[in-house]
Amino acid sequence: MASAVVTNSRLADQKWIARGEERTSLSRFLLWLSPWAVVLAVGIYAAGLCLYYGLNQTNMDNRFAFGLWIFLDLGIIALGAGAFFTGFLVYILKRAELRPILNTAVVVGFICYSGAVAILMIDVGQPLRAWFTFWHPNTHSMLTEVTFCISCYLLVLSLEYIPILLRNRQLRKLPSFLVFEHQLHKLVPVLAGVGTLLSFFHQGSLGGLYGVLRGRPFAFREGFFIWPSTFFLFILSAIASGPSFLMLVTATVEKVTGKCLVPPDLFRRLGFISGILLAIYVAAKSIDTLIWLNITSPSVGFAPWQYYMHKPFGTPILFAEIVLLGLLPAFLLTYRKTAARRGWLLSAAALACAGILLNRFVLTVQTLAVPTLPFDEFLQYTPSWQEVASFGGVIAYGVIVYSLSYRYLPLFAAPKGENTHVSGD
Amino acid sequence: MFPGIDGFHWTATHVVFLSLFFAIVVTILTTVVSAVWRTTRDFRTSRAIELCWKSDFAELPESDRRCRHELAGRVISRTCDNAFDCRHCARYSQFAVLPATGLATDLGLNYPDDRLYHRGHTWVKPVEDGPFTIGLDELADHLIGNPDSIKMPVVGTELEINQTAWRMSKNGNEIQVRAPIEGTVVSVGGPKEGWFLKIRPRLDPRDPTTLRHLLRGPEVHGWLSRELERLQLQLRAPNTPAALADGGVLMPGLMDAVPGADWNTVLADTFLEA
Repeated sequence: MASAVVTNSRLADQKWIARGEERTSLSRFLLWLSPWAVVLAVGIYAAGLCLYYGLNQTNMDNRFAFGLWIFLDLGIIALGAGAFFTGFLVYILKRAELRPILNTAVVVGFICYSGAVAILMIDVGQPLRAWFTFWHPNTHSMLTEVTFCISCYLLVLSLEYIPILLRNRQLRKLPSFLVFEHQLHKLVPVLAGVGTLLSFFHQGSLGGLYGVLRGRPFAFREGFFIWPSTFFLFILSAIASGPSFLMLVTATVEKVTGKCLVPPDLFRRLGFISGILLAIYVAAKSIDTLIWLNITSPSVGFAPWQYYMHKPFGTPILFAEIVLLGLLPAFLLTYRKTAARRGWLLSAAALACAGILLNRFVLTVQTLAVPTLPFDEFLQYTPSWQEVASFGGVIAYGVIVYSLSYRYLPLFAAPKGENTHVSGD
Repeated sequence: MFPGIDGFHWTATHVVFLSLFFAIVVTILTTVVSAVWRTTRDFRTSRAIELCWKSDFAELPESDRRCRHELAGRVISRTCDNAFDCRHCARYSQFAVLPATGLATDLGLNYPDDRLYHRGHTWVKPVEDGPFTIGLDELADHLIGNPDSIKMPVVGTELEINQTAWRMSKNGNEIQVRAPIEGTVVSVGGPKEGWFLKIRPRLDPRDPTTLRHLLRGPEVHGWLSRELERLQLQLRAPNTPAALADGGVLMPGLMDAVPGADWNTVLADTFLEA
């Protein structure tokens, strides 16, 4: 990963690398990993402080109960939606052309969800009592559904990751591993279906979590049956950004390694899927915003301008979220001429991902920062170094796991097919 | 969570939500248990070996998966998608009747016509009404020279086709030699004897399809010339471009003569390892 330069000479860990795959030398690879390992170590130390001393290590309080960590959770869970969505497209809708990116989607999803669960374990303050949510669930809380679905989906992703892991060159030499991998792989469509169901509900419930906050008019929304509109907007935005994030990850790996890992046409397909879904999301989000500004919010005594009078949360953020990081990338991803150019395509994908992250940030932070009572004040929150370090630790964890997976596992195995030319043809 | 636990109420919400949750958990667990059960079943039968071979075959580079008819020059290009199992290849007969067009130049290796050859560099010498003799072909023999150790199967062992028949080690490299046919080991030899195993075939030796998967005639020459070409490329000095062949022949004891080569890859390619 450290360099585009690859070598044909023997590597110290050659036995672990798939046949025919060229990788950089082990020393360069370790050099690439070392700064991330330092960030991860600091993150683990900071997390340890939070677990040992409690949440007083953070700058969160009763008012700002959601902070950087929840933003991180919402962000990476949305970006990790590429895993379930790609599985859904390949196994349920039979879009075989997306198969080359399936393994990397699973690994990205596994990293995102395991990272989110790890940070949630710190965030709950008393992780030893995390099982309470399963034993004494509050079935009226969106968070219960989120907890159940994320736990189950992480299990599903782990099971989807196992067949990829067992295809490692050394692990596959054990016949029992190889046969188990084969049998588990045959059942992956079942897991893909379960994953789709779970993801649909937990992505939605994460949005619904904000939509039901009647005491926070910035987030509160009307909706359908028990689900506020944010339930559906979160699902739409997650499946729109997931393919874009996969494109960005794959393009980054291609750039770093100097290799073409997936068919060039695949990016255009992913971009088109992402763009169409983003366009639908932007349309739905615009309608939702208009209803909220003109009906929902005034009905609870808040004029729209009240939300945007506190800097830096002005109207430019709303403009950026809907137009600059929504409508624009949707256009660039679907318009034939821009989609045909890799630079435009990847820039649009980056904008789409940034837009979804901004949306999660706004819903998490602005919701809590804006005063809701006459004697209330606009609150500012700055995360403590422990929060930032834990955040960085999760990012470093992701980079390390992905790098190891890329080096030792078949993430971008090319499909093999028959090709016959008869003599005399 | 469960009836009787503090907080549980017999309401529709509780029942629907928890039923759905448990249905999902049961589905996930059933999937895992099913995979474990199927794995156990495959090991009880011989299907596990077949699955391992097919999985290994799928990992071979395309250059190693050429169809025998391409090797013989009957077709210009064809990748095998049947794990070299010509016995069950639907298109075998279609191509087998075409004339072979390969050139039969002398490659400097002895591959007698009375033997049939497996892609994992073993030969089979059929004997009427007797056990078949299995040995290592001359290219593999030249490559390894004298192995440091050999681990042979005991007499009476049931071997499946493409299963590891015996293991050798040389200069720290482990070599697994695949069985070219299925059957029962009736006698064990070694390099000194010039053969390694005598196997009583499980399938009827008079059936023409029993040994159909093994290479013969012009196919052997086409296969061997590609194998030599591969070796030449893999054993060239580091950072040197590919050069024209100089007409030399393969020398015995290559692993001792070129200790610095990437033998891990060479042996994997030679003995069809993933």
